[in-house]
Amino acid sequence: MPVNHLGYRPWKEKLTGSLTRWWCISSSGISLAQKSALVKRMLFAAWLPVLYWGVGFFFIGQALEGKSEFLPATLQEDVRQYIDQMPGKKREKIREAEKGANRLVVAALLKQHFKRIPQVGRLADGLESGDESTARNRIWCWLMMSFFRYPQGLMILFLVGAIAPSLISRDIRSRAFLLYFSRPIGKTEYLLGKFFIPATFIALVTTLPAIALYVFGVLMSPDLTVILSTWDVPLRILLGTVVLVVPTVSVALMFSSLTQESRFASFSWFAFFTLGHAAWLAVVFSHALRQGGAIPFKVDIMEKAEVKRWGLLSLYNNIGEVQGWVFGFSTLSDAWAGLLVLVLITVVSLAVIYRQISSPMRV
Amino acid sequence: MQPLISLRSLVKNYRNHRALDGIDLEIMPGITGLLGPNGAGKSSLIKAVLGLVRITSGTGTVLGHRLTLDGKKIRNDIGYMPEDDCYIPGMSGVEVVHFAASLSGLPNIEGLRRSHEILDFCDMKQERYRAIETYSTGMRQKVKFAAAIVHDPKFLILDEPTSGLDPEEREALLQRIGVLCEDARKSVLLSTHILPDVQSVCDQVVILSNGQVRLNKPLTELNTIQAPTVEIGVDRPDRDFIRRLETQSLQVAVLKSGHLKVTGTSLESLTEQLWQAAAVSKVMVLSLKPAMNSLESIFMDTVAESNKAAREAVDAG
Repeated sequence: MPVNHLGYRPWKEKLTGSLTRWWCISSSGISLAQKSALVKRMLFAAWLPVLYWGVGFFFIGQALEGKSEFLPATLQEDVRQYIDQMPGKKREKIREAEKGANRLVVAALLKQHFKRIPQVGRLADGLESGDESTARNRIWCWLMMSFFRYPQGLMILFLVGAIAPSLISRDIRSRAFLLYFSRPIGKTEYLLGKFFIPATFIALVTTLPAIALYVFGVLMSPDLTVILSTWDVPLRILLGTVVLVVPTVSVALMFSSLTQESRFASFSWFAFFTLGHAAWLAVVFSHALRQGGAIPFKVDIMEKAEVKRWGLLSLYNNIGEVQGWVFGFSTLSDAWAGLLVLVLITVVSLAVIYRQISSPMRV
Repeated sequence: MQPLISLRSLVKNYRNHRALDGIDLEIMPGITGLLGPNGAGKSSLIKAVLGLVRITSGTGTVLGHRLTLDGKKIRNDIGYMPEDDCYIPGMSGVEVVHFAASLSGLPNIEGLRRSHEILDFCDMKQERYRAIETYSTGMRQKVKFAAAIVHDPKFLILDEPTSGLDPEEREALLQRIGVLCEDARKSVLLSTHILPDVQSVCDQVVILSNGQVRLNKPLTELNTIQAPTVEIGVDRPDRDFIRRLETQSLQVAVLKSGHLKVTGTSLESLTEQLWQAAAVSKVMVLSLKPAMNSLESIFMDTVAESNKAAREAVDAG
């Protein structure tokens, strides 16, 4: 018998409230998931784009402050060429009002380097017509949106695919349902607990670096008054995370709840994500080829109505549309169809999960 | 004394199948054995008590909470050890118990301390740090038992707790149940097929068959035989001795153990007659004790009676 054997002793202390018990499920799931070497590598890889975007924040910050000597020589040359091409009045304005014209320099940079993206063109136009504080806000929002959309949007595919598919299927296979539901845990708490496992990892690779970039951007600014013109950026980051997390995690958990084999759930998740997007890309390519356009084609072909409606097939595209609205680069009337698809996907997924997690108790 | 569980006309249907057919049941504090053949409705009854399945009709209270409305409150006060293996792959034994403690509302650090304490109580040593997938059946049973009691529930529901255990571990587990009941004043509902387990620890026996309660009595009452009967051990089962007893209007049965079960009209005259017959037949009496009913025979008789009634009902229908 061990020296510390105390036999059975009653527990006299107070139990915690039932409102926080779902977090026990999340925290244990997070600690289990982070044991995986694959997930650790993904987390590391997911933070690498932050460096690239950090450099972007630095150069744009410097350009807005008129410190063009910080810009690489090639960019300075681009700016000079662009200003030289401008109509006489505009060119004079830039040269005379040095500080106020910095946004025009940034607009010039954007137009030179992102000719094929219509959204950037609209952003640059906005910079040319607005003031400096609006320019900073718009640029930061655009940087954040592109951070969410391109590197992290794709990383989510792999991160959710590595974590979510095993969460419910593993419980079905090992009958861990009884461990949960013989406790004061309801189906909603179970689902909430499971939901926040991949959601936490997504937040770690999207929200946290985006907030870090925002803080970096503030620190790179001349004074803290930039917070007054960019206070909405952190809120847009949080809302952008919600748009990214809710439909993706719901779909992945739904696939997980439909099978005991997590590899089938993983396969279904990747198939759902990639096939929808591939179908949309096929439509875009076929339109580009029919019009005799070169590949790579101009991105504005995606803006055409007969192409755009096929974008609803792609989860990635729908998320992008809604995030465009969240970051202020499109209106609700542009994004409503994508938003409706995301809401539908989420509702159907949650209904299926509810049904599936009730069924082991019915037998 | 207030009953812990009180059920009235409880019915549970699974589509066309009636799993519980008008259960009326009261379970008092102490250790209650829940017996029944496969498909009798034991698991459905346990799930209904825990509030895990929606009952079709009926009412009841469990530990003072309303059956259908207070599922979470009921599960807060009950420790349930399921028959099936249920674990989370990748966790160690102590992590599973700690997780169960957290789900029941124990604070994090205190839950870990308590988990170790309970695993000590369950005689789980360093293997508690191993991944649970590598455990033997006996170790998993210990972890399930520890997870069921870690939050100090008032009432324990143990579903086949000794299945898959070797005799030594089985004895140890039954002893732990006894300690919980006697020292910590816990009440236990023990669902099992192993009748000697019920015989050794239970105060009350409930037999369920075809979704109905067929018997609900204290074990002492079941063990007591109505007519005065004794069990006598002799050095040799002598035919002359048995014939002498039978000529005195005593009923004699030879048991598998070689002992004789003798039934008379009064206990005093019965023992007198036994001693006299032994003296005449020159048989040495090695033991003499009041006979008890066999739980196995009670169980078999009750189930057979239930099956017969069910067949008759089908024929009549």
